[in-house]
Amino acid sequence: MPNKYQLMREGALCQDEWIYSDEATALSEAPTIISLSRLKAEADDLRARNAKLGVQLLADGNGKTQLGEDVQELEPYLDMLSLVSIAFPTYRNGRGFSAARVLREQFNFDGEIRASGEVLHDQWAMMRRCGITAFELAPTVRLETFTEAMSELSDAYQPAADDQRGALWQRHK
Amino acid sequence: MYRYDEFDHQLVSERVKQFRGQVERRVSGELSEDAFKPLRLMNGVYLQLHAYMLRVAIPYGTLSSKQLRMQAHIARKYDRGYGHFTTRQNIQFNWPALDKIPDLLEELATVEMHAIQTSGNCIRNVTSDQYAAAIDGEVEDPRIISEIIRQWSTFHPEFTYLPRKFKIAVTGHDNDRAAIKLHDIGIVIKQNELGDVGYEIHVGGGQGRTPFIAKKMADFVPKAQLLAYLEAVMRVYNMLGRRDNSYKARIKIMVHETGEVEMRRLIEAEFAKIDASQMLAVPPAEIDRISAYFASPEFETLPASSDVLEAAKTQDADFARWVRANVVAHKQDGYAIVNISLKPIGGVPGDASDVQMEAVADLAERYSFDEIRVTHEQNLVLPHIRLDDLKTVYDALHAHDLATANLGLISDTIACPGLDYCNLANARSIPLAQEISERFADLDRQYDIGELKIKISGCINACGHHHVGHIGILGVDKKGTEFYQISLGGSADENASIGKITGRAFTEETIVDAIETVVTTYTDMREGSERFIDTYRRVGLDPFKERLYAE
Repeated sequence: MPNKYQLMREGALCQDEWIYSDEATALSEAPTIISLSRLKAEADDLRARNAKLGVQLLADGNGKTQLGEDVQELEPYLDMLSLVSIAFPTYRNGRGFSAARVLREQFNFDGEIRASGEVLHDQWAMMRRCGITAFELAPTVRLETFTEAMSELSDAYQPAADDQRGALWQRHK
Repeated sequence: MYRYDEFDHQLVSERVKQFRGQVERRVSGELSEDAFKPLRLMNGVYLQLHAYMLRVAIPYGTLSSKQLRMQAHIARKYDRGYGHFTTRQNIQFNWPALDKIPDLLEELATVEMHAIQTSGNCIRNVTSDQYAAAIDGEVEDPRIISEIIRQWSTFHPEFTYLPRKFKIAVTGHDNDRAAIKLHDIGIVIKQNELGDVGYEIHVGGGQGRTPFIAKKMADFVPKAQLLAYLEAVMRVYNMLGRRDNSYKARIKIMVHETGEVEMRRLIEAEFAKIDASQMLAVPPAEIDRISAYFASPEFETLPASSDVLEAAKTQDADFARWVRANVVAHKQDGYAIVNISLKPIGGVPGDASDVQMEAVADLAERYSFDEIRVTHEQNLVLPHIRLDDLKTVYDALHAHDLATANLGLISDTIACPGLDYCNLANARSIPLAQEISERFADLDRQYDIGELKIKISGCINACGHHHVGHIGILGVDKKGTEFYQISLGGSADENASIGKITGRAFTEETIVDAIETVVTTYTDMREGSERFIDTYRRVGLDPFKERLYAE
């Protein structure tokens, strides 16, 4: 199945070598993104597999409050993971911003974190500040638009998961 | 007052440029209204019943005369000659044209102001005590930490798409004028036994359709750890707050459903993780830099009383009444805090014309160390006026219909914009506030009634704070007709309480009589110098109900 998105990684459009798998299909040697439930169920087998593994953190969880999956559940599996894809079901649901920062700042995860789902123009730069390094963008988005959006605000007031310390700190280097 | 450095200037002007691009894409049709909505909301632009509305942030309610003059200029150039001061110490313009808003924002930026985060599901403009640095008995000027919170929360990358909007209020005084227990986070500046300054944190207050008084989550968060603590609260909320139903998405619902004890545990666990990094400990040198902007004005050494003032009071009874109602004791001998009522009899609560704003700006510049404050009760304050100058200031205010002597009295009503402007409203608020103030226009009667806070909301979203009015009025819609429900006993101060509904609602024709009945019930029952709220707390709701619904 061809991708419905174009992948933006480190400021450039690129070929996505990752594939999303379903719950049942046997995994190939290709870098593959699976669900959290599959990761938990097959962790032992997956640990023995000699290929890159990613997981997608879903925003629509079970439960009536639809909180979505909990980033804390990834902690025991981080050594197996090269990628976490965070799903944003709608631009209004900003829960994934926190998940990204927890991965970077509390779990010291250094693999790829990508944003999938509905992500708006003016969210890209904020996502990058939270530690998201790759974006699954709608095919209509132009590279220049993306680049421009990333540089609209040249500085930040507060520290996050990137290198910017924030004005309150920078003024007293 | 805080002044922008190049850093603040740069970010604000970049933001204006960014928004200009967004407006151009909207006007050209490249962006649909749906796609434009989240962008305009982050910049304070609402779509109301008749037009776009722009809400300008007035951080912690402090303005310089230059900034207030700019509001007058904007009212004249982009609006219909007036602005509306809100319950969040901001100012709204009801009639700007969308394609002119970027120009308007550019002009605002020249006086170090913006409309960032005055709407949307983000951390909103921080509010505080309008008497900051003027009232006696303050632990610390609350605007220092408010400014630090403003900066930390501006364009926060993690907390700009929260489950719902988020409001923070700060007070440095035991008498709470900032309604901190009705905010998502309320902060009280405290001093511990060692003399260290820190913060008592309340979480989960709010009004709307399900009002709650905030729960005290921490007794004393040390100064250096405040931002880490706030970030912990925000992250717990962003991760676990409900997103399935916007009416249940505020943190107050989360605190209620999770329980105070579990909520505290979650916050403290996250706080421990964030604080361990020390990433959010603001350098003492930066706190000093910001504090220096709020250094006390250079007050003159003056006697505690003024012969000039006393003589003027004897000669002019109206002036004497105004002093009694609107002037508050200052911490510095020889000075006073002046409240300017924006509730003239029959007027629109919170509205000020361009000429009025300029008059206030002139007075501030000349007599009040260039400072003006906006109150959450929709009035203005000149915080530092010499007693000797009170009469001159009064005369100038009087000439601009700004000397109504009704602070805290029955005609000093809070009202939301209501059905005259707002597309959420069920009923009109402003005409009702006007009718009530006309009914009780006689000032002597108002003084006899004493402190009585009426708050009117045109719908259940409670922008007019009806839940915490001594008398609260809520507009409800029944089969296309406007009805008004009365609640009694609310309060927004340090003894915060939510009012109780009296019973069946009143019509447009009977509501003012009903208010009169509530008032006479009180004046008949009060003992000694009891205020309305004291009598209510003593006798309860029943005597009022009996009189209201007696046939």
